[in-house]
Amino acid sequence: MSVDAISLAVFNSLFASIAEEMGATLQRASFSPNIKERLDLSCALFDGQARMVAQAAHIPVHLGSMPASVASARQSFDTFRPGDVLVLNDPYRGGTHLPDVTMVSPVFVGTGEPLFFVASRAHHADVGGMAPGSLPLSTEIYQEGLIIPPLKLAEEGRRNEGVLALITANSRAPAERLGDLEAQLAAHRLGERRLQALVKAHGASRVLEHAAALIAYARRMTEAVIAAIPPGTYRFEDALEGDGQREERIPICVAVSVSAGRMTVDFSGSAPQVAGNLNAVEPIVRSATWYCIRLLAEDDVPVNHGCFEPVTVVVPPHSLLSPDFPAAVAAGNMETSQRIVDVVLGALAQALPERIPAASQGTMNNVTFGGLQNGQPFVYYETIGGGHGGGPLGDGLSGRHSHMTNTRNTPVEALEHSLPVRVVESRLRYGSGGAGRCRGGDGIRRTFEFLTPATVTVNSERRRYGPYGLHGGEPGQPGCNRLLRQGVETVLGSKATLQVSAGDRLVIETPGGGGWGKKDRPGGHEPRSLPG
Amino acid sequence: MFVGVDIGGTFTDFVLSRDGGLWIHKIPSTPAAPAQAMVAGLAALSGGDLAAVRRVSHGSTVATNAILERKGAPTALITTAGFGDLLAIGRQNRPHLYALQPQLPPPLIPRRWCYEVPERLDHAGNVLTPLDLPALDRVLDDLATQDIESVAVCFLYSYRNPVHEEMVRARILERQLLPPSQIALSCEVLPEFREVERASTVALEAYVRPVMSRYLQRLEMELPPRCTLRIMKSDGGVMSARRARQQAIHTALSGPAAGVIGAFYLAEQAGHRQIITIDMGGTSTDVSLCPGRLTRSAQSEIDGLPLRTRLLDIATIGAGGGSIARVDAGGALRVGPESAGADPGPVAYGLGGQQVTVTDANVLLGRLDPAHFLGGAMALHLPPARAALAHLAQEMGCSVEEAALGVVDVANANIDRAVRRVSVARGHDPRDFTLFPFGGAGPMHACEVAERLDIPRILVPRYPGVLCAFGLLMADVVLDYGRSVLHTIEPATEAELQARLQQRIEQMIAQAQDDLLAEGIDREHMAFAGLADMRYQGQSYELTIPFSQQLRADFCARHAASYGHEMPERAVEVVNLRLEATGWVEKPTLVPQETVESDGAVARLGDRRAVCGDGEQRLALYDRQRLQPGARFSGPALVLQMDSTLFIPPRWAASVDGYHNVILERRT
Repeated sequence: MSVDAISLAVFNSLFASIAEEMGATLQRASFSPNIKERLDLSCALFDGQARMVAQAAHIPVHLGSMPASVASARQSFDTFRPGDVLVLNDPYRGGTHLPDVTMVSPVFVGTGEPLFFVASRAHHADVGGMAPGSLPLSTEIYQEGLIIPPLKLAEEGRRNEGVLALITANSRAPAERLGDLEAQLAAHRLGERRLQALVKAHGASRVLEHAAALIAYARRMTEAVIAAIPPGTYRFEDALEGDGQREERIPICVAVSVSAGRMTVDFSGSAPQVAGNLNAVEPIVRSATWYCIRLLAEDDVPVNHGCFEPVTVVVPPHSLLSPDFPAAVAAGNMETSQRIVDVVLGALAQALPERIPAASQGTMNNVTFGGLQNGQPFVYYETIGGGHGGGPLGDGLSGRHSHMTNTRNTPVEALEHSLPVRVVESRLRYGSGGAGRCRGGDGIRRTFEFLTPATVTVNSERRRYGPYGLHGGEPGQPGCNRLLRQGVETVLGSKATLQVSAGDRLVIETPGGGGWGKKDRPGGHEPRSLPG
Repeated sequence: MFVGVDIGGTFTDFVLSRDGGLWIHKIPSTPAAPAQAMVAGLAALSGGDLAAVRRVSHGSTVATNAILERKGAPTALITTAGFGDLLAIGRQNRPHLYALQPQLPPPLIPRRWCYEVPERLDHAGNVLTPLDLPALDRVLDDLATQDIESVAVCFLYSYRNPVHEEMVRARILERQLLPPSQIALSCEVLPEFREVERASTVALEAYVRPVMSRYLQRLEMELPPRCTLRIMKSDGGVMSARRARQQAIHTALSGPAAGVIGAFYLAEQAGHRQIITIDMGGTSTDVSLCPGRLTRSAQSEIDGLPLRTRLLDIATIGAGGGSIARVDAGGALRVGPESAGADPGPVAYGLGGQQVTVTDANVLLGRLDPAHFLGGAMALHLPPARAALAHLAQEMGCSVEEAALGVVDVANANIDRAVRRVSVARGHDPRDFTLFPFGGAGPMHACEVAERLDIPRILVPRYPGVLCAFGLLMADVVLDYGRSVLHTIEPATEAELQARLQQRIEQMIAQAQDDLLAEGIDREHMAFAGLADMRYQGQSYELTIPFSQQLRADFCARHAASYGHEMPERAVEVVNLRLEATGWVEKPTLVPQETVESDGAVARLGDRRAVCGDGEQRLALYDRQRLQPGARFSGPALVLQMDSTLFIPPRWAASVDGYHNVILERRT
């Protein structure tokens, strides 16, 4: 029996459930709050030619950035044996930024070449480097942590304890690293078993035939999405504000061209490579671009090789979006990716004015801090939600994550239990959403009080230029980072790294979303009752 | 006599046990006043002698509907200064990852009724900022001018030290603003850490409690004074109506629970300990795994709102008889989650439905018999179903029969995925289980789902349509106690900590004994199971293990079994202690009938042609009512009854056991 509408649906479900189960295993067995609570992880299946067949992406920034890892792993080794597991995080060799540790392993059925590969990626809380949390205001990648080129973490089922020891020794939280790596290994064992069972049940040729059919299927789905966009070329420009070294306008330009079921997304004219950490390697640009297309799809599209075939992404060489080794890249994954989404959606809004909402907060508001507590190192990383853009369906959401991330916050009662910090306030910033017929959602104000000395790093954006409004809607209010020390308030830049003392307070105000449509009522939401 | 009553949207089902026998009864529901149908049914069953009804257990959707329709009591939230937007921000994640413009359901409590009061504890429960009483009074002044019927209080760390929440209640009572039943404290409703989930749960409790209370009051007035009224909880246990007035939110996810309880006891009595249930209705299918016991968890939400009460572990997917089939832009067949519901329903109902549903495919394949559908009460029209399927087949480039088989196949694949989610993904092998289908459409799809999963055996109950009412009759009283402790087990102090935790468990048992006595359970019928939610230090997700004298070792072993690795050198934390207290209720003992070998010929109704995957075949039709214990026959066959049709493909052998269950086994 060959491929038909029915077997396509059935195999889609079978492959997706394997990726899903790998993700569930990784999530439950891991340690990093980033992985476990905030689902900063992805698992994917690849065919023997390293074409992605299915991906369970819990976080959009991983969409489509996994194939580069598998390609790099295959380039690095000529032969694979059953039980091999490769590990890597080098952004210039298949990674994204150093905390994202990716594993790739072959799946054999019988002898010969691997029939499949499985891959997993998880954001580890600390992989060394100049600042706790490994998201420093760096100027070269060496400052960002341990660089892992593609290496065999396990060979023929035997773990390479030396590699494990090297990775854990370079982390400020070695035991946690070990736990997370173990969790990834467990996910790989499960993925391998499930794929082997699938082949046993249906036969290798039928399974492979459907893997190829699913790739063609995803291509057709993507083509259908593109076909619904009026042909033409749509341009948009927006900017980042500072690379951690200088506050300066860093433009990102896009020209989205649609014709005959194909889309070219050309970032020519964007800023050259920057000195600081905002550079984004090309797989991130692809993820952010394809995320925008995914938003337009009415149905779930299986995320695989075929999704990317109708889309050509052009990035200028030596630029912010295609940096040269050893440029710093820590924040490209988090902040630059958000602005890429803003410009692509801004361009698409001209083609589809009745569908695309105004800009959301456009930043992840990354806060990392670390230090020593009772002689033991601690590390904390959190991102903070903000306002969503208003749009055709109504006002934007308030205080939620948007676009490339969807990580949950750490409960105050969990945070204060484990770390020497107190959360003084976590409120919405009423009125920070842009005015418009459909208002932007409000940002958040979250205030931390430190109980011991610590090193704090903030990577944020939209502190000067608020998220744009559309069709006459006003921009959302920019965010603001402040330090309160002994009664004195200092405004920090969008990127900051500083030493804090016990009693110091860090106030993070996140941006409101942009408004949509001509204003006929004021921005902001109904105030809450406050005591006397 | 004891009665289980399941009030559904269309029918109210009764299962009555008296003198060792069971009777079932079905009457139309009275949605405007659900109690009306219930009392009418009880009166009919008891021959007018309501006083003979000693116990009624009942599943209620009152709390669920109040939440879904936002028709609960006007509620205020009082929380720690700085955190008034706790419910609005939630865990800051958006509900749909790839929605162009994500939407949230409307909040339970409007912002202006979320009040802040200065006060603060630290994580050990020490007071950092005492409760600001004048500020509280100003809040209460404002609250008194509003039309507020219920108040929820959630302060940070109240699970460690309830002092400030209790002060708020005392002040509200002192000022006579509200009666005690209309004040819900988070330290009582859910004394566990994670403030968003606790605040959301206590807000939900405050929101539904007055509505539930009014409903129960009306119901109790109609019932005889000596009759014990019990209500189904989300965890599959029951509780007294009195307790339900204080723990109304524990009923909010009870809808699918009763059926699983019914299935579990029925299968157990018939000798099947390990079952996977599939409850397939018109719009969705509920899947649950019972590995010799009921599995429960505490992670859930209702209409996007976090809820942390214990519930049966049930996975729900949008695949039912009414699920709509279509070809998507990439050329793959999709079935569900959109549903034609009951109105207009499938094309074959002839009520105006235009889109092909799973039911239409079954009609076309000949697997539903128009003459016997819903006992003949609902007409099934083949020609329009065939026309609609022909349209779909054209899009798919195949024959009408192939298209119909495809719709069924894809629906089954969706159920297969849900079964894997509750079994394989948690380390269980489906081949070790008996599949237990119920609900209107479960028996229609059971064999093919079992084939996909290599499940060798299926148990089809005699009355798949009233299993929920049966479950209500069988459900025990279950009370949950939980408390966050957040202790780290250090080798040096392990023995001492064990002793302290043991003491906490014993305190919980003492409390539970009193509560079970108040529920009308005597001491011989109580059982207590201590549980501990544990994790390695640094993890933020717990595994629940039975409480023991070697928690650390047990946890490490369980972690290894679940995730393939353990970390013996790593510190272990006890996050929550729990107690599950069970009060066994008197249950009817099902007495198996003697089996007499037969070929089921007395139940034969003739036959009809149907498509079975490997071509058209002649199906033998059997009347379920007349199938006697000991009857054996083989597929292909259809077993017909009022509210369900069992489809048996070739390759399956059927036998009727002493309990009138049809047992299907895969022929090798």
